[in-house]
Formats: sequence, structure tokens, C-alpha cells
Amino acid sequence: MNKTVKYLIGFGLLGLIAYNSVYFKRLDEVKAAGTAGAGKAGKAAFAAAPYAETFWTTKLLPAAPNSATDLATLLSLLKTDKEKAFSTYSQALGIGNIRYFLVKGEGAVTAVGPNEVTVSLPSGETVHLATEYIFGNAVRDASGLIKITEFDNTADLNSVSAEINDIIRKTVIPPLKANATPGKKLAFIGAIELNRAHLHLETLNLIPIVAQRVKE
Amino acid sequence: MHMKKQALLMAGWLLVLLTLGRCTSKQDAGAPKKVAVIVSTLNNPWFVVLAQTAAEEARALGYEAKIFDSQNNTSLEADHFENTIVSGFDAILLNPTDSDGSIVNVMKAKEAGIPVFCMDREVNSSKVATSQILSDNYSGCVALGVHFVQSLNKKGNYVELLGLVGDNNTWNRSKGFHSVVDRYPSLKMVARQSADFDRNKALEVLESILQAHPDIDAVFCGNDAMAMGAYQALVAAGKANEVAVYGFDGADDVMNSIRDHKIKATGLQSPQTMAKTAAQYADAYFKGKRDFAQRVPVAVELVTQQTISDYETPAKP
Repeated sequence: MNKTVKYLIGFGLLGLIAYNSVYFKRLDEVKAAGTAGAGKAGKAAFAAAPYAETFWTTKLLPAAPNSATDLATLLSLLKTDKEKAFSTYSQALGIGNIRYFLVKGEGAVTAVGPNEVTVSLPSGETVHLATEYIFGNAVRDASGLIKITEFDNTADLNSVSAEINDIIRKTVIPPLKANATPGKKLAFIGAIELNRAHLHLETLNLIPIVAQRVKE
Repeated sequence: MHMKKQALLMAGWLLVLLTLGRCTSKQDAGAPKKVAVIVSTLNNPWFVVLAQTAAEEARALGYEAKIFDSQNNTSLEADHFENTIVSGFDAILLNPTDSDGSIVNVMKAKEAGIPVFCMDREVNSSKVATSQILSDNYSGCVALGVHFVQSLNKKGNYVELLGLVGDNNTWNRSKGFHSVVDRYPSLKMVARQSADFDRNKALEVLESILQAHPDIDAVFCGNDAMAMGAYQALVAAGKANEVAVYGFDGADDVMNSIRDHKIKATGLQSPQTMAKTAAQYADAYFKGKRDFAQRVPVAVELVTQQTISDYETPAKP
């Protein structure tokens, strides 16, 4: 009797240990969890081009004229109260020192180079409107209208930037180049990238979103 | 009869212990919460900084913190996860050993109700970690790519040295770089080879590439260790002044080489930012926040010979 009870308890304990030591999971569940990040399973692949097109036409262009900060005002604030300027006006989907500003301004074209159009603001500063190197996340991030929580993986985020930059190359740059004549006035809206910890305002490069000749 | 009673009592206790063992043991309400920092290796100073910063930030926020070294071994990492779950840790700040192999470990923590915040390296799943805080390798290399094109005036022959071909970071960097450079057809990649993120291997690989392609203008390397190896090969070949070398990481020796005009540029990553953010996210989680972005990019700063003066001079070894 004694022995039977001991054996029973012994087997019971062994069974419990064995049960606790081995996990059973459906292979398809594990595979799904493993590949979800790579976009191979689960939801359909993200279509960056239509996303960028919708963002450009229905969100960014309608909002930009009002939400962009006047460039001369921003530059003056950056010189007097850098922290306030960054915390009030800058945006970025990621974290770190690199921040983006959506800005607007008006000024006279002083030079037209192979890579940029240089504009002199009435306040005296100059800004270079890029016509060649349209890369990076400035326009995607500067408006603050795209939220990082919309995206599960960084490849999608990167492709949104690439598509937005392509829209700029196709629709903004050709008329900008056509309208840029030294001495003529341009009104522009665009995005600039600045480093919060290492701020340099000597050379300001702007990725244009809107650039129009001002009638004089 | 006495024996039977004792056996039954012991079995009862064992059952209670085993049942408790399955659950995470929660500490007293007043005790600080515990944060585990599980890091792929402590054999590399970069990861030491990552782990120590994460633990220090967690302590500064009022939590207990302990560092576990996985020694680049996924099964050792699995043991650490088992231990942290059983010992009642409340959050895990993880630098995974393997983007696929670590998924199952993170899943175990998730099932035990413990949030996991990945730092620097990702796991290839969007459903297991609470959030993944990762260097923006792609965008960092876009910036490097623009600098590369500008410096070479849109034309020339170059070599690309890739990192480990199985590593996500290798391809994110390469893709970011090519998203810019491939738009300029006069920039020709004459050779592309892996040097496994290793300095000595980069030296050997570039030496052999130089024999077949002596006429190159630049070398783009997927990390700083390879950039140092590539520079050494160029010095040996007497070409160090003609060929521009690009790295990625912001390692001290490369920052010093940029200062000395030996290396052209690098992308500076910030392990401190990633580690601090992971600890702060755990803090926010304890305070009730749940809407974390699955992947949070951390900016990589372009450091060139023009901007190097912005950065502190690291101690020369």
C-alpha cells in the first residue's frame, strides 16, 4: 500500500515535470510570428507609392501653407532660443539629434547651380533649394502628419521617403528649374534637416515641396 | 503510516513549488521593479556601452537592473530568458543574438506577460517584442551615399565591402547607400565582397581586389572595422591618398582617422540613445503606456572631415 502510493506520487510528479518541460506549439503559428516582420506572412505587402501619393495630395499639400513656419522667424528663434525652436517646430519619426522643420519663405534668386537654386531672404540669410540631391526623410517627417505607429517595419518607412522624394523630382523640380532666374523672386515651402546637438545655420539646404515665381 | 503522511506532505509541497515555478514570482508591492538587460555579447566594447547604459538608466529611473551576457549564443540567451521569467523580472531590455533565433525567447517572455524592448538589433517579427529601438542604418547610409556622390563628383570606380551576409544591418546599410549611388551611372561598382565586419578580413579582401582593380576611387564599407582594414590595404598599396574610404558606426579609431583626413566619412550610431530609450520605454510601460511603435528608428549622424570638429576627440588607444 505504502509503495503503491509512493509510486503513484512519483509518477505523478514525473508527469508534471515532463509536462512543464515540453512546449507544444503549432508550427504555422511559430512560422507566422517569425516572418511577420519581414512582410512574408500575415497582411499584404505595403504599397508605398499609393501611400505617398495620397499623403502628398490629400495631407501635405493642403496643410503645408498654414503649418509651415516662416523661415526667417525660425532662423531668428534658432539663434536666440535653440531648444524652444526645436521643441516647438521640429518633427522626426525617429529619435535622436536629427530633426526636421517644415518652413516657408520668399526671396530673390541669387544663383542657379547644377544641384541647387540659391535664394536670398529679405532678412539677409540665404537658403539653397535642392534640385539634384532629393534624398532622406525631411519631407516625410517635417509635417508631423505621418505617425511612426502606423508602421510595423522600417523598410516600409524608408520606401515612403523614397516615393515622396520621387514625387518631388517629377512634379516640383522641373517647374522650379524653369522658374529660377537670377534676380527673380520665388516663394517656397519645403523641409530642412537640422542637428539638435550640433546646429549649423551657415549652409541651409531645403528640399522643396512648393516653389512658385512671385509676380512683381 | 508516518512514512505515508510524510511522503504525501512532501509531494504536496513539491506540487505547490512546481505550480509556483510556472508563474513568475512577483515581489512585494513596495519593492522596486526588476529590469533584466540581456545582451548578445560583452566581448565587444560597443555592446558593453549599450548594456551598461541601459542598466544605469533603469537604475536612475528607480528600478533594480541586472546584466546577462548571452556570449553570442542563442541557447544561453534562452537560459537567461528562463531565469528572468522565473526570478520575477518585470521587463527585459534585449540586444538579441540572432534576428530569427531569438524570436522564440522573446515569445516566452511575452507569454509570461513580460515586456521586451529590443535594442540595436531586431528580431524578425513584429508581434513579439513590445518595441524595437534600432539604428536607422538605411537613412544613415542614404546620407553617406549623398556625401559619397558629392565627393566623387558623380563619377568614378568604387568597391563595396559588405558585412556579414546573414545580418539585417548589412543589407539595410547597403540598400540605403545604393538607393542614392545607383542613380548615378558614371559611378561604377567594380567589386563587391563580404568581409564579415572584420578588420583583418577587410584588409585581405581589399588587397586581393586591388590586384584585379587597381584603378579605384573609393571604398564603401559596411562598418568602421572594415574601413580601418581597407585603409590599411590602401596604405600598403600606396593608394591611401587617392582612394576615399567610408565607414559606418562612429568607432573611436575611425573618428580619429576622419580627424586626421585618412577616412572620408562615417555614420555615427548612438548606443547610448538606444539603451536609454529602451529603459525609458520600460518605465513608461510600468506606468501604463501600451501604444509603442513596433520599430523606432534612431538617427545616425553623418560625420565628415567638415563636421568632425563637432564631435569630442575620443581617447587614442
